[in-house]
Amino acid sequence: MYKSTGFVSFFLRRFTGLVLVLYLGVHMWVIGAATKGAETFNTRLELFESPVLKILEILLLAAVLYHGFDGIRLIIVHYFDVTDYRKSLFYAAFATSALLTIVGGIPLLLYALGMWS
Amino acid sequence: MLIFIIQRLSAIALVVFLSLHMIVVHYPPGHLDFSRVLERLADPLWKAIDIAFLFAVLCHALAGTYAVLTDIERVTPLKRILAGVLIVLGIIGVAYGTYTVLSFQPPASMLAVH
Repeated sequence: MYKSTGFVSFFLRRFTGLVLVLYLGVHMWVIGAATKGAETFNTRLELFESPVLKILEILLLAAVLYHGFDGIRLIIVHYFDVTDYRKSLFYAAFATSALLTIVGGIPLLLYALGMWS
Repeated sequence: MLIFIIQRLSAIALVVFLSLHMIVVHYPPGHLDFSRVLERLADPLWKAIDIAFLFAVLCHALAGTYAVLTDIERVTPLKRILAGVLIVLGIIGVAYGTYTVLSFQPPASMLAVH
């Protein structure tokens, strides 16, 4: 069981899910500063402008994309008769999220390094 | 079963909402501040979309948390309490998030000009 893609996907789905729940809490706290006015909002948002945190956002993007494509894969497996392609679909979801992490991560990296106009 | 249905429906909603959110708010990356968000949220349709997005994401996050935690043997007997706590958290989250979305109002000084 531990060598099957089923276990890997189960673990990754739950791990990325929990990370995203924790991030949601932080995100709501940051944006919630708007309830205290524009100044508070801008100050709190600036806490997250550091290059290190911007680069961490790439990991966040990876988690979101993987979790999302894995979810789409699950829906396909559930509603369509594609049991034979389960493994291929897992690799497809993994590859798609990896590719989109690179495509979406490059602008974030350039922005973090101040090289994005 | 109910948890499963909540998870599936909110998942499908999130594919749409989150894609929209990333494309409109976070790409291409740029400096974000109160006035930028206010510009978008001046449209009541965007406020409605963001509140619906908030609801979907909280349903998904809390139902997911419930599913993960109740799989732990020691938590299983406490699942009713856990469900109660998560529902309360969800209600607080929707209320606070909605209040946040509605807080994006032009400052009084800007209103005075018009």
